[in-house]
Order: sequence, then structure tokens, then C-alpha cells
Amino acid sequence: MSHLLTALKVAGHSFAENYRSRFFALFLVFAGVLIYSSLLAGVMAVDEEARVITDFGLALMELITLAYALMASASAITREMETKTIYLVLSRPVSRPAYLAGRAAALYAVLASMLAVMALIHLSLLWVRGLAPAPMYLKAVAFIWCKLAVITSAALFISLFSTSAVSTVVIAAILWTLGHFTAEARFLASRSTGAAAVLLSTASLVIPDLQLFNARDLASSVPAPAGPAFLAAYLLLWLVVPYLFSLLLFRKKEF
Amino acid sequence: MKKYPDLYLALFSAVVLCLAGRWAFLGTRSPFPPPDSIREVRRSAVGDAIALSLGLRRLAADVWFIRLMQYYGAPSPESAEAGAGPQEYGAGAYPEFLPMARHILALDPYFTNAALFSAGSLAFNMNRPEEAVAFLEDAMSFAPREWKYATLLSAIGYSKAKDPRKVAETITPLLNEPDCPVMLRQLGAFLNKKAGDYAAAYRIYGDILATSKDPFYVDNARREMEKLAPLLRAPL
Repeated sequence: MSHLLTALKVAGHSFAENYRSRFFALFLVFAGVLIYSSLLAGVMAVDEEARVITDFGLALMELITLAYALMASASAITREMETKTIYLVLSRPVSRPAYLAGRAAALYAVLASMLAVMALIHLSLLWVRGLAPAPMYLKAVAFIWCKLAVITSAALFISLFSTSAVSTVVIAAILWTLGHFTAEARFLASRSTGAAAVLLSTASLVIPDLQLFNARDLASSVPAPAGPAFLAAYLLLWLVVPYLFSLLLFRKKEF
Repeated sequence: MKKYPDLYLALFSAVVLCLAGRWAFLGTRSPFPPPDSIREVRRSAVGDAIALSLGLRRLAADVWFIRLMQYYGAPSPESAEAGAGPQEYGAGAYPEFLPMARHILALDPYFTNAALFSAGSLAFNMNRPEEAVAFLEDAMSFAPREWKYATLLSAIGYSKAKDPRKVAETITPLLNEPDCPVMLRQLGAFLNKKAGDYAAAYRIYGDILATSKDPFYVDNARREMEKLAPLLRAPL
């Protein structure tokens, strides 16, 4: 229980730290690009304006939050180690598991708040233009958060063994790309033999299947590729396993 | 075991994650067509690869639909080359129309309005009903319960039999849908007018005027309503 309370305190401080880094400036970028694109979509997409603005807004929301998630998770712990701030934290009764859990939880919370604010901006724009949001809207936003939580969890782990924040961002971005290629990898595996098939099958074990959470692309009319129980378990595993491995690496570091 | 509890826990959970990943890899089925169904159109390969790798199929389909409308909104290539005068809207060869429409469907096979717009344009404006039927059959393979496709298929059948009244009757349920492509509404109004049902034509043109944002269709609807009003003795 005390570990949980400590983790929550660390999370609270980390959230405030993210707030001070002015991540909300990204909202202005989002709002500006969205309004500009909606004006263009109104002219070019004519009767498909609602669909185009919805799709563009959701995609932009995901990419902007992804950029922040990668940058923030790549430097969340390593920067504290470089600036020696971590000495101050760990010299107090803060256990390493609680510290790590708190840092990760703060990132998940920041991503959720970013998505919530951007979704409000997006919905306001749709409302101003007299357009109704798609039925899948809230599900799409929630699933974007799931994808971002998975990649943030992986990026935190990568940051503990990579040589720089840039390499963490690059590796995580590659993981993000591969995570969307699982259907294509499955198709290739079914047509390949020998080493190629083995490689593709093995890769599927360690690459998160982000297409499972791609409700934005699947829309409401398409049958979901997996049930909600499996998705919840899969998400939980992708949060817990990188955390446990991060903990192994983090325990070995000497401060 | 007691010495390295974290290690054993991490390894155990990693094994569970691998099993879940394996199940997700083998047990789930992508609702999208395989990647080899995406044919390159107008040097689309790089854009398509980016869209797939970022999970942006739907947005890519939107962009290609806008491109299709821009292509179809311009004079057809052969008439532009021949320097021909104004021709009936939508008529012409438009050789890239079908590949572009297929491209949209390969990216997002659930983009119903794009499929209806493309099939309707092929069948009724470009007089290519066989291609429209084949295209709709492809679309139906992904959405077999989509009644709008079935309705349009029937309408194309009546159109081939040169029965405009029956075509108009068949597509009426489609026209009542709030998101029906304006091109089909325009077609419904035109066919009703041709079949002598001026009241129905007037009502559909009124719907176009009230709901569409496409200036071409709006201007055309206004002109047609002005022509039909004296026939109906209806106020404008």
C-alpha cells in the first residue's frame, strides 16, 4: 500500500513536471492545423466533409500525441539520471518499483489528458461546422490512448538500455511502424517458407499488434479483430511486461 | 527461485505476452484486403506504404476519394486533348477512374459512399455498366449485407434494360438515406423527370439544394426546380 501511495506521489510530481514543459503548446499546433484542414476539406471533400475532418483530426491527434509520448518517455528517466535529480528522489524512502511505476503512470495520464483536450477541440470544430461526430469517435480516441500507452511502456524500457534519447525515439518509432504491419506480416508469413517465415513468426511474438487497437481505421461497421477481454489482457500485458524488464535494468543501475 | 523473484516474474509474464502475441498473430483476421490487392495508381506506392505503416488507411482512402472527385470534376482527358466544347457533365472516358476507385476500395473496403459514387458514375454517367457491376461485386465481398450496393446493382440492371421508371423506383430507398452521395440523388431526380414524375424530381432537387455543398449540383438543382415549377404550379 505504501508503495502505491509513493508511486502516486511520484506520478503527481511527474505530471506537474510534464505540465511545466508546456506540452499544451502542442494543442495550439493541433487546433491551427485542424482549422486550416477543415477549411480545405470543406472545399475539396464537399459532401464527405464530416468524414474527412473526423479522420484527419483523429490521425493528427494520434501523431501529435505520439511525438510527445516518444520524446517524453525517452527522456523521463534518463534525463533525471543525467541531471542527478534521481539521487534526491531515491535517497528518500522511495522504492525503485514505485518510482518507475509513478513515472510510467504520469506519462499515461499526460497522454490521456492531451487526447481529452484535443478531442474537445476537435468536437467543438465539428459542432461549429454543424457536423455530427462518427459513432465510433469515443472508442477511437480511447483506443488511440491504448496504442500510445503500449508504445510509451516499450519506449520507457528501451530508454534504459539505449545510448541516447534519439536512439530510443528511433527504435520506438520503428516498433510503432511494425506494430501496424502485423496483417501484412501475417500475409507474408503465409506465403513464405524457411527462414523468412520463421523470422516473421518470431517477430510477431515481440512486436505489439497495434492494429488490434486501430478503431480509428476499423470504424464502426467493421467487425472487431479481437474481443474486448483479449484486448484488455493484451494491453495489460504490454504495460506490465516492459515495466518488469525495466525494473530489472533499473535495479542494476547504481546511484 | 527466491533469489531472483523479479527475474522469474518478468520471464513468466514475457512468456504469457509471447503466447498472446502468437494468438493475436494467428488467431485474428484482418478486416482489410491483403496488401497485394493495392495496385499502384499515379505513383501512389510511397503514400500507400506510409499510410499502412502508420495505420492511416481510412485517411488515405479519404485523400484518394478527393483526388478521384478532382479527376472526375475536370474535363475528360480525351475531350481536353481534342479541344471539344462543353459536354454533358460526367460523360467521357476517364481511363483512370476505375483504377482510382479500386484503389480507394483496396485501402478502405468499407467506404460505402465512395463505392456508390464510383459505381453510379461508371454505370449512369460513363455508360460502363459492366465495370460498375464488377466493381460493386468487389465491394460487396467485404460488405455482403450492405443493402445500398444491392439496390444500386438492381438499378444498373434496370438501366441496362432501358427502364428509367424502374431504375428511379429502385434507387428511391437509397435517396432517402441522409448520407446518400449527391450524384445518386441527382440521378434519381433526372430519372424521375424523364419518367414524367415531376413532383418526385422536384422534391429530390429540393433535397439537393438544401443539403449538398457541391456548387455544381446546387446550381443545377436550382435551375431544374425553376424549370419544373411551372409544370407543377408549385411556388419556388
